[in-house]
Amino acid sequence: MLLGARCVLTASHLTRRFGDRVAVGDVSFELAPGQIFALLGPNGAGKTTTLRMLAGLIRPTSGSIHLGGEILTPQNAPRLRSRIGFLTETPGLWDRLSVRRNLLVYARLHGLPAPDRSVDEALDAFDMRDRARDAAAQLSKGLKQRVALARTLLHRPDVILLDEPTAGLDPESAREVRELVLRLRSERRTILVSTHNLDEVERVANRVAILRSRLVAVDTPAALRARLFGARVRVVLAQQAGPLARVLADAGFSDITADGSSLSVGVDDASVAAPRIVRRLVEAGADIQSVAAEEPPLEQVYLRLLEDEVRQEPPTTHGSSRS
Amino acid sequence: MSRVLALLGKELADLRQNPAVFLPAVLTGFLSILLPFFIAIIVPQFAGERLSDSSDFEIAVEMYRRQPSMRALDPEGAIQAWIFQQFLVLLVLAPVAGSMSVAAYSVIGEKQARSLEPLLATPLTTFELLAAKVLGSLLPALMLTLACFGVYLGGVALLAQPGVFLALLTPSSLAIVFVLGPLAALAALQLAVCASSRVNDARSAQQIGALIILPIAALLVLQLTGSFLLTIPAIVFIALALAGVNAGLMLVGIALFDRESILTRWR
Repeated sequence: MLLGARCVLTASHLTRRFGDRVAVGDVSFELAPGQIFALLGPNGAGKTTTLRMLAGLIRPTSGSIHLGGEILTPQNAPRLRSRIGFLTETPGLWDRLSVRRNLLVYARLHGLPAPDRSVDEALDAFDMRDRARDAAAQLSKGLKQRVALARTLLHRPDVILLDEPTAGLDPESAREVRELVLRLRSERRTILVSTHNLDEVERVANRVAILRSRLVAVDTPAALRARLFGARVRVVLAQQAGPLARVLADAGFSDITADGSSLSVGVDDASVAAPRIVRRLVEAGADIQSVAAEEPPLEQVYLRLLEDEVRQEPPTTHGSSRS
Repeated sequence: MSRVLALLGKELADLRQNPAVFLPAVLTGFLSILLPFFIAIIVPQFAGERLSDSSDFEIAVEMYRRQPSMRALDPEGAIQAWIFQQFLVLLVLAPVAGSMSVAAYSVIGEKQARSLEPLLATPLTTFELLAAKVLGSLLPALMLTLACFGVYLGGVALLAQPGVFLALLTPSSLAIVFVLGPLAALAALQLAVCASSRVNDARSAQQIGALIILPIAALLVLQLTGSFLLTIPAIVFIALALAGVNAGLMLVGIALFDRESILTRWR
């Protein structure tokens, strides 16, 4: 956990029920400035409900949200919402209005002192100046998402909540969104992104939370990997790896798997063990092509955590038709 | 207030981009003002009979002979003035009925376009949202009422007996158009916007909003039968009642507007 004073946003024991169904149960986490926090989970896991609670759109059944040290209540929600930028799952633009008009309305709703200038700056920042007069309906899906992002950031919020920002985008548009998110992190903005795209999380997130109505795990991607799979060193050889596995076993390594010409070795610390492994293999006459700390993809971590969660879970009313 | 104006600007810009949505209101408004011209001028001309020859309009002649502004009119002029004044109520009603579809679609439309959630994520309060939505349908309806009233007066000046035009410019006639009309329109459109935030089908909202037509239609019938006359005290009383209804409707609208249900249950 982070120190409370450094946190921009704190969710404490958030629970949200819809009737008997628990959409989000006892979820707690903290977000610090300049952090990208990824919320992962299957459909119906409660990601959107969590984001809506954080945005002050729906109230938690129990638990609390602190934004910059101030507790979020229905009374102060309209004011605190000006410190939050929420990119909803769909762009939600007014199709008949121009891109400029769409942004201008939001600039005025946020009470920006110079709305026209703010819109011009946003159009420049998102490279949309030449499409400013076009009706939103004329834009491609990627461009609509870009306008929605511009709208989300128009009032320079401290906390940015992104609900599946790259869903349905082509690779180029998705990369633009990722680059933008990284740029925002460098501006010390706090970003919470809900996504199914594990590759995206791998590239941008500092911390990951896996949600399945309740929090399954929260940590850095590296720590989650280490927790589940431990540290491993992968060695690719010029010859068959089988006979050389014996050499490493004799050297005291116990968790060794050989697959064709590669060896995977379980270790306590890859940076300490790798030189020892290389030395023993070279001494045994091995021709080594590459050595690397083995990192299972985040997808493997995610699936493993969810599988463990399903195995441990007693029959409850968790799960939903809509998160 | 600035947020109301911001959203109102959006509503009006949206209407400008899609003027067809207001076409039913324009048609209803202008068709409704044709009706008294048919009764008072066109039908008698084609039939070759004067209205004052019919005993059906004796009440009108008696009623208006008592009013100072009518005394200068001949019986035919008095009957025409009576008809044109009765139908002023319809003039108020028609544009409201037409713009009801705009109000009824206001919240549901945002939800269907998926633009409501980003809007609710701004500092906009429920009062500001509802006020902008109501004004977004009220202002065009009022502009249309004024346009219809102008055409109505122009038509009367051109086609009716001399002096009938001036008989329409009485305090009660003007109060019907400029006080009762806007207040009734506000009530009807607020009702439609309230309904729009509760039901998930624009047609239902439109039907609920249209309920306001019933008392106004009743007023028209009462006037035509001579059972009730919209005098200045009656207008003041109805205006005060409508102001109270409007204040109540806004409070009810805010209380009924359930952001959570709209976001989580509507499809």
